[in-house]
Amino acid sequence: MPPPSNFPLARGYQLLNYTIVKQLSAGGFSIVYLAHDDTDQPVAIKEYLPNALALRSEGERVMATSADNLALFRHGMKCFFEEGKTLAQIRHPNIVKVVNFFRANETVYMVMEYERGRTLQKEIQLTEGGVKENMILYVFAHLLNGLREVHLHKMLHLDIKPANIYIRRDGSPVLLDFGSAREALNQSALSKFTPMYTPGFASPEQYADREKLGPWSDIYSVGASIFACMSGLAPQAADQRAKEDKYQSVKKMWAGRYSASLLELVDWCLELDPLARPQSVRDVQKALVETASEPQPKPGKGLLAGLKGNLARLTRLGSSKGEQK
Amino acid sequence: MKFTIFQETRRGARQYNQDRMCYSYSRDSLLMVVADGMGGHLHGEVAAQITVELMAELFQKKAKPTIQNPHQFIADGCMKCHDAIFNYAANHSLLETPRTTVVAAIIQDGMLYWAHVGDSRLYLIRNSQVAARTRDHSKVQQMVDMGRITAEEAERHPEKNKIYNCLGSMFPPEVEIGGKVPLVDGDTVLLCTDGLWGCVTQGELEQMMTGYPVLYALPQLLDRAEARGGIHGDNLTGVAINWHEEDDHATADSLSTKKLSDGEVTTRLNTLASDKALKENKEVTEADIEAAINEIQAAINKYSR
Repeated sequence: MPPPSNFPLARGYQLLNYTIVKQLSAGGFSIVYLAHDDTDQPVAIKEYLPNALALRSEGERVMATSADNLALFRHGMKCFFEEGKTLAQIRHPNIVKVVNFFRANETVYMVMEYERGRTLQKEIQLTEGGVKENMILYVFAHLLNGLREVHLHKMLHLDIKPANIYIRRDGSPVLLDFGSAREALNQSALSKFTPMYTPGFASPEQYADREKLGPWSDIYSVGASIFACMSGLAPQAADQRAKEDKYQSVKKMWAGRYSASLLELVDWCLELDPLARPQSVRDVQKALVETASEPQPKPGKGLLAGLKGNLARLTRLGSSKGEQK
Repeated sequence: MKFTIFQETRRGARQYNQDRMCYSYSRDSLLMVVADGMGGHLHGEVAAQITVELMAELFQKKAKPTIQNPHQFIADGCMKCHDAIFNYAANHSLLETPRTTVVAAIIQDGMLYWAHVGDSRLYLIRNSQVAARTRDHSKVQQMVDMGRITAEEAERHPEKNKIYNCLGSMFPPEVEIGGKVPLVDGDTVLLCTDGLWGCVTQGELEQMMTGYPVLYALPQLLDRAEARGGIHGDNLTGVAINWHEEDDHATADSLSTKKLSDGEVTTRLNTLASDKALKENKEVTEADIEAAINEIQAAINKYSR
C-alpha cells in the first residue's frame, strides 16, 4: 500500500517571515518550496514531512499517522537536524547553503539559499549527443571540491545524481538535497520506507552491504552521473548489475568522443567492488586534473592518448592500493 | 447470571488497529465496552485503550456485586475517560489530544443498560429482529433523521464516517443513554465498531446473530465484513453475548457467574503494545528538539560570519 501523499503548503502561506511562492519538489521525506523572505529575496525551504509516518491532509499542521509512528517521526526529525547541523558547518561555494532552521506546524524547516539555474539532469536532456567534455570537467572538478568538504565532515551524500546537481547561470555546480536524513532513517529497524536510493546512481553497497558504505559509495554515484552526461541515461542499476552485469565499458563505447582518461575514470568509479574504485575524492580529482591537462582526443592520435591513459591508470592503481593499507 | 460471551477485533486492511474492546463481570453484573480510536487523529488507539481500561477499572471498583446506578455509572465513566485522555495528552506532550468513540453496556438483574458516544453501536437482537439499536452521532444519521437522505443513501454517503461527538474532543462529549430493557432467554447483545456494521446489512446481522451462537456467529460476521472491506477495510471489532435463563442446562460454552464470590470480578482486556513502545521510546523529547534547533541556529550564525 503506497503511503498517501501530503498536501503542500498553499501559495501565499506565511511561514515565519517567509512567504511561500510554490512547491519546487516533493520527495518521500520532504517538500521543497520556493519562498520569499521579508526583504523579498528568494529562498528554498525544505519541510520535513516523511510520507510513511506523518500526514497533512488539510490545513498546515503535520500529524504522525499513529502512536508507533510518532517515535519514528521524531527519530527522523533528529536525522533532519543532523543534516541541518552538518550543512550549517559547511561553507563551500559548491554546497547548498543553509541560512535558517526553525520549527513550525509541528514539524521542522530548513531554509536554504535559492540558486538560479537548472539541474544537470535538465542540462543532459537539453543537450543532443552527450554533454561536452569541457563542461563535464568543469562541473565535476568543482563539485568534487564540495564533496570533499562533505566527506571531511564525516558525512556521505548517498544520493548524488544529475537531478541533485544544480548548475548556476555562471556554469558552476551546487550539490543539493543531502540524503543524510534518509540515510539515518533507513538504519532504524523499520524498512517500510520507500527505497532510499536512486536506481542507476546508487552504489551496490547501498542495496545490500550498508556497513560497506564510504566515500567510495558517493564516488560510484559521481561515476554514474558522468556516465549519464555522456550517454543520456543512468547505467544499469547496481543491484541488477550484481546479478547480471550488462555494464559496457564507456572506454569502448565512447572512445574518440571523450578523452580516454576521462572514460577510464568513469569505468573505474563504476567498479562493483567498493575497493576497486577510487577510495577518496582526491583520487578522482587527480584523475580529472590529468584529463584536463591532456590534449583533447583528435583522430589519429588515439593510440598515443590511449597509451598515456594506461600509464596514468597504472600509477593511480599503485597509489590507491597504498592508501587501502 | 448466565451468558455466552465472545469478543474479537481485527485490523482489517489498516496498518494499525485502533479499535479496543473489553468485558468484565462480577457475580451479578456484566460490563462490555467497545471503543474506536479515531483514524485521522494521532494516537487514536491510546484514547481507545484508556477508555476500555478505565471503564473496566471503575467497574471492578464499583461492581460489588452490582452497580448502584448503571446509567449514571456509564455516563460518569465516559466523562472520566474523556478527562483521562486529556491528562494523558498533557503528560506525554502529545501534539494533539487523541479521540475515540465508545459504546458500553451493563447487564444486571436481567436488565440491559447502555450508553454511547460516536458511531460505535449496540444492537439488541430478539426473535431474528433488531429490537433496539443506538443512533450514531454522525453527520449522515442526522441527515437521515431530518429526512434529507434515506437510510440506503446514508450507507453509500462519502461522509458516513464523520462523527460530531466523541471522547477527547475540544467539545465535551454528550453521552447518550439507552435502556433499561429486560432481557429474555435467547436475546443477543452486540457492541461493535463501524468497521463491522458498515460492511454487513442489518438483515445479515439479524440472521447470523439469531441463527447461531455468538462464538460462531461473530467470527463469521467479521469474516464477511473484512472480506467486503477489502483493501480499504477499516478496523473491525465486536463483543457479543447470548443471554440464557438461569435455570437452563449448562452448556460447555456458557458462563455462569453464580460461582463467583461477592467481590470477585473477571476482566478480559488486552494491553496496548504501541503505548508501551511510546513510553519506552523517550529518545526525542520536546527539549531535545529545541536544543537541536538552537545548536543549528548557532552553527549558522557562527559560520555565516
